[in-house]
Amino acid sequence: MFDVIVRGGLVVDGSGQPGFQGDVAVKDGRIAAVGRVEGEARQVVDAAGRVVAPGFIDPHTHFDVQLLWDGAARPALEHGVTCVVPGNCSLSLAPLKAADRPRVVGMFQQIEEMPPEAFTTAFDWTWEDFAGYRAAIEKALSINVAPLVGHSVIRLWVMGPAAQERAATPDEIAAMQDLLRQCLDAGAVGLSTSFVDIDENGRPVPSRFAQFEELDALAAVLGEYGRMLQCVPEFYATDITIARIDQFAELSLKHNIPTTFSPLFDTSAVPDNAPRAIARVEEQFARGARVWPQMQTRPIDISFSLLRPSLFFARLPRWVRVLRLPLEARLAALRDPDTVAKLVADTGPDGGEAMMGRLILRGGDAAPAELAGKTLSEIAKARGQVPAQALIDLSLEHGLDVAFLSASQGHQSTDRIGPMLAHPLVHIGASDGGAHIASFSTYGDTGYLFSEFVRKGRHLSLEQAVAKITGETADIWGLKDRGRLQPGLAADIVVFDAETIDREAELPTFDMPGDGMRYVRAARGIDTVLVNGEVAYANGAYTEARAGVVCV
Amino acid sequence: MSPRAGEGEAVIVGAEVVAGHDGSAELVVRLRHANGAEAPLVLDEEAGLRLMRNCGASHVDDLAGQSWRRILEGS
Amino acid sequence: MSLPGGETISASPALSRQRRFVTPGPDETVEALALRALPGQPVEAAVDAIRSWNLHIFAMRKPAGLLLGSDVVFVEPPLG
Repeated sequence: MFDVIVRGGLVVDGSGQPGFQGDVAVKDGRIAAVGRVEGEARQVVDAAGRVVAPGFIDPHTHFDVQLLWDGAARPALEHGVTCVVPGNCSLSLAPLKAADRPRVVGMFQQIEEMPPEAFTTAFDWTWEDFAGYRAAIEKALSINVAPLVGHSVIRLWVMGPAAQERAATPDEIAAMQDLLRQCLDAGAVGLSTSFVDIDENGRPVPSRFAQFEELDALAAVLGEYGRMLQCVPEFYATDITIARIDQFAELSLKHNIPTTFSPLFDTSAVPDNAPRAIARVEEQFARGARVWPQMQTRPIDISFSLLRPSLFFARLPRWVRVLRLPLEARLAALRDPDTVAKLVADTGPDGGEAMMGRLILRGGDAAPAELAGKTLSEIAKARGQVPAQALIDLSLEHGLDVAFLSASQGHQSTDRIGPMLAHPLVHIGASDGGAHIASFSTYGDTGYLFSEFVRKGRHLSLEQAVAKITGETADIWGLKDRGRLQPGLAADIVVFDAETIDREAELPTFDMPGDGMRYVRAARGIDTVLVNGEVAYANGAYTEARAGVVCV
Repeated sequence: MSPRAGEGEAVIVGAEVVAGHDGSAELVVRLRHANGAEAPLVLDEEAGLRLMRNCGASHVDDLAGQSWRRILEGS
Repeated sequence: MSLPGGETISASPALSRQRRFVTPGPDETVEALALRALPGQPVEAAVDAIRSWNLHIFAMRKPAGLLLGSDVVFVEPPLG
């Protein structure tokens, strides 16, 4: 008697091999059989007309805090993600001495944009070491977690405030090595560092004060365990990215470790950025180094309000001049009919229809909730105005606290990005799940992979796309128990409709502690998600299953 | 308008607004160096707007021809 | 590899030539780094060159002028 049989689906097993019609049987949290499975099970999942694949692995997230009250990392799990990697960009919630919590909370708030209540009321902060953090999240996980430990917090533990002021001494570096060993022993899957992040005061995070010898010493410890080194490199700055690739290649070769940098973006402003970086990665792989560039699937949007100047208006001189004014003077200018008439005229004879009509009102701020998700063109028509006039008036009506989104302003060329995602040395990831929550949604990149690059662009086959975010990801990260539908491996399984899997529209929701707002995207086309053999999501709802583990 | 770039030093030859990874608008400035090679420089919203102000530019296209030194003014 | 007081990675035959860089030593000032990277040049000219090649550091750093041990500091202009 099996626990679960997923029957009659197209089995796409994560290896990249062609899918086949078959069943997947589960026993004791593990895959017991794949193919034509005879026998009975306590639970049968009908997968007719659906794809049965390994659960997706998201290798770049910031769910560190959310996991303490939401063991499903919602909405990641409903998108078919069964394993998340938090602790990226040099920041994790352990090891962390109680006295240093306020400092790290500031850094987390800078990146994640979590409300303060997330750190004060949503959980009991009982731990200091990595094992304690692991125990805290393991109590109620419905998703698997493969946590990185952050270089910045390791530095802070050993050096205190000096971590954000100076280079480390040899004794301090040795202490960091010992601490990293403790974290790896407690379940960390690697170390993250950052070359770009800043704290809430604009000061570089501690990892950026490290000399290369320090990183080298920590990489030596990673070499003892064969574990990952992750970094955030400078964006769109190709020469610097190549320098980082070279630095990481040296560490990879010297210590025999995998390394990854994220994100790598494509942009029309620097068209050779991603191709040059990938070319350098190819050269380094040819030497035997492992430096995996992580590329996200989703385009990047620009958001802005009239509360502060934005470069969005950089091609509208009069708008720039008005938005540069101090707030009171800016409000006065935006209320002045003559000024507004000129501003509107500047947007073209159509009143900004072509330039601004596709802007989306984001919601979650002072704007009326019923307008969230509508285009400025739709809103303007309903008001009997042209878009530029509607943008100004709507903003004035709500104290300028009305955010607009200009969609797909970067990393948006499907025809350029598709072949790069299909490149064998490009690692699909960099979702940033759980970060920037008040600015945009970081969920649903896997659905977008299938809708945009499999169905629409046909840059990857179904099997290639599945392998990229399952088997290949598990191989890159050394997650030996995950990523494939293969007898003996953990039964992380997603059942989805290949014709409809996608991400839904971005919408504001108030489900953070203290009724805090974040932007999310629901999933489309996901039927059932099993984590370690238990159904964690089915029929559009989360279950009571808590089978997630910290996986190594 | 501020002085243009001097002989034999880096000069701005173009600029374009791009989407930053955090949803903000950023400015990619293209600099031509004394050896004739060009490279991009990414400025965040604050630095990008400051550069436009330093140059008296109300349009990104106005930045062309400006000295690299303008980028550091007020930083 | 780029170590304090040393140069950047020496290109192996398998690697194409890329822009050379160094990383700042502990508490190293831009003047000291410029003289290390561009020996023989007057300090003002050397600092000027380093700044113009590394605006990614000098345009947005808070506090201004702070050099970090992890910085990539180019010691030549972009390659043509």
